[in-house]
This record gives sequence, C-alpha cells and structure tokens, in this order.
Amino acid sequence: MFDALHTPDNVLIVGGSSEIGLEIAKQLARRGSSKFLLAGRSLEEMQTAARQISQFSDQASASVSVIHYDVLAEGATESLLAAAKAELETIDMAVIAVGALGDQAADENDPAAAQRILEVNFSKLAPAVLAIANQMKTQGFGHILVLSSVAGVRVRRSNFIYGAAKAGMDGFATALADAMIPAGVKVTVVRPGFVTTKMTAHLSPAPLSTSASKVASEALKAADRGKVTAWVPPLMAVVATVYRHLPRVVARRIPF
Amino acid sequence: MERTELLKGWGRTQPVVSEVVELDGTPAAADVFVRPGTIARGLGRAYGDAAQIGGGRVVTQPDEVASSSLEEGGVLHAGGGASLDSILSAYVPKGWFVPVTPGTRYVTVGGAIAADIHGKNHHVEGTFSNHVAGFELLTPTGERRVSRDDDPELFWATAGGMGLTGIITSARFQMIPVESAYMKVETRRLDDLDSLMATMVGSDHKFRYSVAWIDCLARGRYMGRSVLTRGDHAQVGDLKGAMADDPLNYQAKPIASAPPWLPGGLLNNASVRLFNEMWFRKAPRLREGEIQRIPTFFHPLDGVGGWNRIYGPRGFLQYQFVVPDGQEEAMRRILEKIASAQVPSFLAVLKRFGAANPGLLSFPRPGWTLALDIPVGSPRLFGLLESLDKQVLEASGRLYLAKDSRAKAETIAAMYPRLGELAAVKAKVDPEGLIKSDLSRRLGIA
Repeated sequence: MFDALHTPDNVLIVGGSSEIGLEIAKQLARRGSSKFLLAGRSLEEMQTAARQISQFSDQASASVSVIHYDVLAEGATESLLAAAKAELETIDMAVIAVGALGDQAADENDPAAAQRILEVNFSKLAPAVLAIANQMKTQGFGHILVLSSVAGVRVRRSNFIYGAAKAGMDGFATALADAMIPAGVKVTVVRPGFVTTKMTAHLSPAPLSTSASKVASEALKAADRGKVTAWVPPLMAVVATVYRHLPRVVARRIPF
Repeated sequence: MERTELLKGWGRTQPVVSEVVELDGTPAAADVFVRPGTIARGLGRAYGDAAQIGGGRVVTQPDEVASSSLEEGGVLHAGGGASLDSILSAYVPKGWFVPVTPGTRYVTVGGAIAADIHGKNHHVEGTFSNHVAGFELLTPTGERRVSRDDDPELFWATAGGMGLTGIITSARFQMIPVESAYMKVETRRLDDLDSLMATMVGSDHKFRYSVAWIDCLARGRYMGRSVLTRGDHAQVGDLKGAMADDPLNYQAKPIASAPPWLPGGLLNNASVRLFNEMWFRKAPRLREGEIQRIPTFFHPLDGVGGWNRIYGPRGFLQYQFVVPDGQEEAMRRILEKIASAQVPSFLAVLKRFGAANPGLLSFPRPGWTLALDIPVGSPRLFGLLESLDKQVLEASGRLYLAKDSRAKAETIAAMYPRLGELAAVKAKVDPEGLIKSDLSRRLGIA
C-alpha cells in the first residue's frame, strides 16, 4: 500500500545491484517502506545492498530479500513475479534499473553484442515491465519507475546502440503511463544525463553530470507528484530539448 | 450491478481501482463475499484508505430513507446506506434530529457506526454508536442481527471497527426531539490556548454542543488563539418572525461547488495565514443568543460541494489525535510544534471529549482532540508527523483511524492495544479473512 505521502510499503527493484536502484531503495527505507525485493544478477552485490537498505530504515526494521534475475534468461519474468508475490504480496512500487551500456565501438562490428544491448535495455526488458504493469492492474494500484536516459531522447552517433534501445524503452514506458491511467497504475520515466556510477566509471563525465543519489531523489520527487517524466538534473530538460531540435549537421559535430 | 472504479478517500491521496457493487435488497452473503478483499463503503468521507481495497470489491448501498421508519419514542430504523443528509431532510421537519453528527452530513449510517463518529456533543452524549440499539450485519458467515444488549461482543467490535466485521445493512438508533431547525449559539473569541482550555473545562457542560476552531499558525503568546462556538437546539420561544412561524423549516443544499480541477498550492502559508487572520478578526469577543441554521452551525464546509478539491491534485490529509485529560501540557507541546513547523493548516478543530465507550477500536476517550487538515507536498511533512505520532503516543493518546492515511502499523498497534480482540471477533464471523480494506492491509489490522 501507499500512504498519503506516496511512500510504498513494498518495493521491487529490478536491476537489484544498480547503484541508482539502491539509492532509491535507501531513500524509501528512510521514509518508511518496509519490504524490498532486489532482483538482479549479482547475489553478492545485492546482499551488500540489502544490508545498506535495512540500515537506512527506522530501527533497521525493513526486510530485504534478493533473488537472481537475468532479463535475458528464459522464464525470468515468471519467476520474478512469483517471487514478488511470495515476498511482497503486492508490488506497490517497481523500480526498473536494468541496463547495460556496452562498448559502442566494438559492438558496431559485432551484431550479436549489439543485439544483447538492445535486449537488455529494451526488447527483453519491455515485456517484463508490461508483465509487472499487468500485475499492478490486477492489484488496482502501483507505480513503476523506469530508468531511461537522455541518450534515448535523441540518439547520438557516439552511442547509438544503447541510445536506440533507451529510445525504445522511453517511448514504450511513457505510452504505458497513458495506457495505465484507468487501471490506477502510474509510470514515471526518469531521464538522467551522465551519471557517475560503476557503469560509467571508465568514461569521462559529460556536462551536467549527476550522481546516483541525486537521480534517486529527483525520481522519487517526480513519483510523489505523479509526473510521467523526470529529468535529472532538471536543467537537462532544457538542454535535451534544444539538442533534440538542432539541425543534424550541427548535432553530429557536438563531441559527446 | 458491477463496475470498476478509481476510488480514493476524502483526502484524495491514495487512488486505487476496485470493483464496485451496490447492494439491493438483502443478498446472500455468498454472493457478496466472493473473493478475498471486500469492504463496505459509504460516501467516501474517511480521509484515507478505510473504505477502499485495491483490486478487491467495494460494496455500497443506496442512500434512501423512504424505507426508514420512526418508531414511537424516536427510534429510527434506517438502511446502512442512508446518509445523515437524507435523514435530516426527512426528519427535521417532523421534529427529530440525529443523535450525533460530525462536521459533514454526508456520511452514512453504516459509516457512522463503523467509524464510531463523534460530534460537537461528545462531551455530554458520546459517539453515534452510544445511541444505537442494534444493527443488521452482513458477514461472510451470514447475516446477523446484532443487538447491543444481546451480543455486546460483536456490537462493540463493529462500532468503531472500520467495517472489518461486515457490512451494516440497517440500524436502529435513538433520534432526539427538536422544536426547531435552528440553533441558539454562543460565540467567543479567545486569545490563547490557556484561556480556551479554561473556558472549555469551566463551562462546556452547560452546552450540548461545543467546538473550538484554532489558528494553528499563530505562535508565541497568541498560540492557540481560537473561536469557540457552543450552543443547543433553539426552542420555538427563541425564534422571531418568519422563523417562529415555521420553526421546523429545514433547508440544506450546497451553495457552491469547487471546480472539477484546481492546481496545487492554493492553500499555502500565505493564503492560509490571511484566511486565519480574517476569520479570527471577524469573530466577536462574545456574542450570545445568535440564531443559526442547522447547516451553518454543524456543517459549514458542506456548503461547498467537493471542497476537498481545493487542495489540488496531490490531495491532503487530516491529522486527528486525542490526548487524555491531564495531558494538557502534551497538547500544548504538540500545538507548539505544529505552529513552529508553520504547516499551512487552516481551521484546526479542538474539542473536549467525554466518556469513552466499550468499542474495541473506538477513538474518543476523555480528553482533548485536535484535528487539522494539511496539504500534501512539503518534504518536511513526513518527519513532522512521525514526531507528532511519538508525542501523541507518549501522552497515551491515539490517532483516529477514519482520518488516518499514513501512520505506521507499529504506531497504531501501540495506540490501540485491543486490536487482538478485534481480530478474534472478526475471525468468528469471517474465518477465511475475506473482509479487508487498504487501511487494514496497511496497518496489519485483523
């Protein structure tokens, strides 16, 4: 259940070892969310995350469980929903923080690797989000936070495989938000710029770069207000909109 | 008739989709409780999530008084869905008034018992359930006639039980005779909390109805400045002119309606401060013998249809608690905290409660209750309310479930030590646990 301040009781983090997912979980634990299920590939990282989350809750009272989840694996969605039902009863909030950046230069010459990036970020992930949304529809309520990216707003030369996948996911999720209104289910699509995390550790930060905790607090702020989209930092909304409308000859010369 | 609907409480904070079924006649329990997660709903005036169940079934009843009957001595037998609004319109002209009315007349008889509502006369006449002789209760194990004398256990689990023992399909309760549709009112303006509390302790017992409206933004020596209104039903001899010619002429219609959509932030610190200042200044220091209509005295906010929309799309919550007699200092500290947090709450209500009743989850107990409406939005609200909860608990006080939309299960469990007894009674009438609300899920009740 949600309380009047839009704090969920039960939270599912898909991409359970994601730094942004962990930050969102920590902030929710501090606000009083009581049950978490982390679903991800690295059990070890998720167990560390689980300890951090319960430390953040009032009197360390939150319970956190973890399950192995690989978006690419056969039957992953079914076992995810079964675990959520067992551990959480209702999925009040689901945070979709699955993502893989890939290596653009290498992947351009390796269609199989490119396909994997498309699957992880979009084509295998979107059906999982749909399944969660339908589960929430049965509950009569729920809120999904989808981690999108500015990279998907206008796909750029420098990372068009990842960008195209994010563009697909962004379009899917924003329209899902509209579709789910009559069902009482909300979807918030979060579009951060460059976030300094382990996923981007090998890259040099782009302008307006931000942190996982900032993304988490902006995402939750948007969710509290029932907004469908959130940009992090908020100024990114302006920058991305301008960039999106630049003529192609100009846009492709911008070096990031 | 079956449909799905997006439902929310009066505070509009937690919308969920449920199946909505309207009862007609007296259907078999097996047709009503078809799946886990069924709860009765009246007119949706509970602020939080008491009368909804996401993904479950919400049961309503028609608001009609045509089938009601008034027995000799003023005992009214009315359907569970009958609203106090309809009852007043039908029976005030005949010289009968409801035993207890809250600040809105848009509540049903079933809801009045389930939330064990109180009104301005609690200090002398107790809650609504105190005046109920019995009711018919539809439970998953069949329909039961519950009389206060013959089945006190189920009666007092249901009175205040937030609908968790079943659906009240009809009830018998004592109406009170009135000579007129008017009130004789005393209004007093008081400059601070001490003088307010002293006045209420000193002379509330002389009035059948009493309530104070507090300016929660006033600080320092003005903290607790308030307007106290007290009164009783006017007798024919109190009335003059046209009123005296037709003393039971009762008219109650909303005079305006809030627009269907309003932006958030209209009720902010500045607008509320201005409103509170004006409202305090316009009150007389002392005015006695004023004649008011029933709606003006009891239900001023009902004059604006859908007034809850002025809080904007994010909605609002009501924080209502009681602290027992002797905890006046706790009340002062809590008010100080609210005032210093500068929460834009307009028109907080302070009232003295009289004796408690045996209801397992009944809210009122002898002492002081404060109710304040707060818009959702400030990031500091969570921490403020959590710390108020602690202070209320330390003062052996508690929160009102019909208003709650955010308290933690542990907090409510500490405030209501008889939750276990409620669960035991519920298990007898609902062994499979089919009756549930979002409130009961959130708070882990029964």
